[in-house]
Amino acid sequence: MLKPGPGACAGWAPDPVENFDPVPWAIPGFVALILLEMLWARRRARQAYEPRDTLTSLLLGLGSTVSGMLTGTLVLAAALWLYQFRPITIGWAWWAWGLCFVLDDLGYYWAHRLGHRVRWFWASHINHHSSQHYNLSTALRQTWTGFIALSFLFRIPLALAGFHPAMLATVAGFNLIYQFWIHTEAIRRMPRWFEAVMNTPSHHRVHHATNPRYLDRNYAGVFIVWDRIFGSFVAERDDEPVRYGIIKQLGSFNVLWSVFHEWIALCRDVWAAPWRAKLGYVWRVPGWTHDDSRETSDMIRARWLETQERGGG
Amino acid sequence: MIPLAIQLAASLVAVLLLALICWKMGLGGDVRLRSEDQARALASEAHFGFEAVDVVLDRAGIGALLRDGTGRVMLLRRHGVHFVARMLDSHQGLRLDHNFLTLTTGERQFGAITLDLGSNAQAWAGSLRRLGA
Repeated sequence: MLKPGPGACAGWAPDPVENFDPVPWAIPGFVALILLEMLWARRRARQAYEPRDTLTSLLLGLGSTVSGMLTGTLVLAAALWLYQFRPITIGWAWWAWGLCFVLDDLGYYWAHRLGHRVRWFWASHINHHSSQHYNLSTALRQTWTGFIALSFLFRIPLALAGFHPAMLATVAGFNLIYQFWIHTEAIRRMPRWFEAVMNTPSHHRVHHATNPRYLDRNYAGVFIVWDRIFGSFVAERDDEPVRYGIIKQLGSFNVLWSVFHEWIALCRDVWAAPWRAKLGYVWRVPGWTHDDSRETSDMIRARWLETQERGGG
Repeated sequence: MIPLAIQLAASLVAVLLLALICWKMGLGGDVRLRSEDQARALASEAHFGFEAVDVVLDRAGIGALLRDGTGRVMLLRRHGVHFVARMLDSHQGLRLDHNFLTLTTGERQFGAITLDLGSNAQAWAGSLRRLGA
């Protein structure tokens, strides 16, 4: 159990606390599990891994760690600034940790959902989806530009509700660790009760899919119940294997292109658009255009549904 | 600062080692297009609703060109153990050299691809020259 004490937040926090980040402690486990999954792939599915794709994913993970180091203090400062306006102080009781974890996961759900539904946020999140593979190295394929996208704004309001920012940072770390193991094809299904409540490899495969049936679904981090509650859940079907990646597959293993390609495309679209449409390219759903020259995921799904209803799919 | 630099350097070494192990294990593989039907299926998956009426495969199976009923042309090319698709809308960068057709998409990172289309190369080059004309 973490206890208040002098530490990383001193000078920022009204009550200085020890800031515990569980992620570095999990990294040896990540490496071991990736090696284990590679052994599984060698026996069962050699194409589950591709060395250049793996290198890109892992370098994106490393770069994300560096960018997190550079901007983490600013995020913590923003949370601590909000924390001073809290109407109540929730403190460090055991139940506060559990409650904080659940509420933070709810915040993650909405941050993640908007990460797919608003192009500004998508420009940052897309590189997590830009691999055509789905393995444990894909889990580490994280953004470098989350701070620029301001996606942290969805995670820090709990500070205003009275949860200490150090507690928020710690539970967010555990949330990230949980999501690592679900990026695999090596596990088909978990027990039914687990699939009903928790995010699992099966549910998250759907999230990484480009199949029209699965597009933009299953945004959950830890608890799949959020998708069930907010109507974004789709179950994986055995008769429809998942195809991974993004609608317009990247076609490159270049790390910097993976990080910045959507930002560059967004800037080009804004530059080329008529004045009345410029902001639309920033806040509307990915794929939106002022002249209907591209398709959003909703448009693709609608066409697919039409073919299903006609019996053509 | 120095411990942090050591930590990052160690992480970089670990990343490179994992990628090396992946390569040494022979993961991935040499993927080729085996049939026109496979190319059609991949094209339809890449652009939902794209129904190819005309297909030509590279003789080594590293790519394909497909045309649908409305005249749209799609380039399929190998990317690792998967395939990626692009709709071609211009003849810019098109080059014919006997049986070999070199194509670019205008995306620098996507790069150029040279397809060995055999005796079909001339005919496809001719029709592609009308793109974006």
